[in-house]
Amino acid sequence: MKQFAISIISALALCTIQGAVNAADMGTPADLNDLEITHVAYTADNIDIRYAHLALAISTNPDIHVFANTMIRDHTAVNDQALALLAKLQAQPQDNFLSKALLEAAQDQINIMSELRGAAFDKAYAINELAYHKAVNDLVANSFIPNIENVEVKTLFEAGLEIFTAHENHASMMVKMLK
Amino acid sequence: MSVFASRRDFLIRTMATGVAMVSGLTGSHAAKRDRVEHHIKIHKFKFEPGTLTVIPGDTITWTNLDIAPHTATAQDKGWHTGSIRKGNSKSVMVTRDMTRDYYCEFHPEMIGSLIVLHE
Repeated sequence: MKQFAISIISALALCTIQGAVNAADMGTPADLNDLEITHVAYTADNIDIRYAHLALAISTNPDIHVFANTMIRDHTAVNDQALALLAKLQAQPQDNFLSKALLEAAQDQINIMSELRGAAFDKAYAINELAYHKAVNDLVANSFIPNIENVEVKTLFEAGLEIFTAHENHASMMVKMLK
Repeated sequence: MSVFASRRDFLIRTMATGVAMVSGLTGSHAAKRDRVEHHIKIHKFKFEPGTLTVIPGDTITWTNLDIAPHTATAQDKGWHTGSIRKGNSKSVMVTRDMTRDYYCEFHPEMIGSLIVLHE
């Protein structure tokens, strides 16, 4: 049963963002404006913070705790920078189809992972983090950064991509370690 | 002159130069140079410079230019800067027996090293 759940998580994680993108027939990520893109990034950060809190609540593995605390620390720092920039620009992030779809997919993921315990949870969390960061990085690098118009917002996303790439590498190390 | 002889001479000259450089450093340290404050920049998830030569009594200051907080932590956790937030700095005084290899506790793929020379 646990193995089945991990397989489901692995498959779900890989298609979470792509599925969210495909499911929305109102447009594509490339159609979003800067304020909508900022909303998606803020939402994606908060989703990963939720995953991290779930990991801290369920896992007893110290390596998982180090990783989860890093996710909370780094994604909070990025969101704080985004909010500071928006305040400076006197702008508000705009909710959109992609943010909504991401939140729905994340809730499904959390529901499945919440049922797991011990090594099964640790493995599922690591697999999900790797797939999630891969998908987010692809979205940021190929759909968001090329389309952002404001120079300061673009610079923030470029800095964010460096952080998320480090997270992807860290998650990859964890997946290998937990095999 | 054969290629081998030429390569051997080159290697000997290179090694001699290296020894002379290290001797020169050791010699200047033996002359009790002033303590130095070294600066390491943390930028784009890298320690810059990645390797630093110091002597006991020097101070090393790490400054974080990234959005994400970082640390500089000895591999054996014998010394630790604690969390360094964006735009902030933390310092550590070099001791004779401090662990040379260090990393960021939050991002373990970030590594740096110290070469500690002795007076």
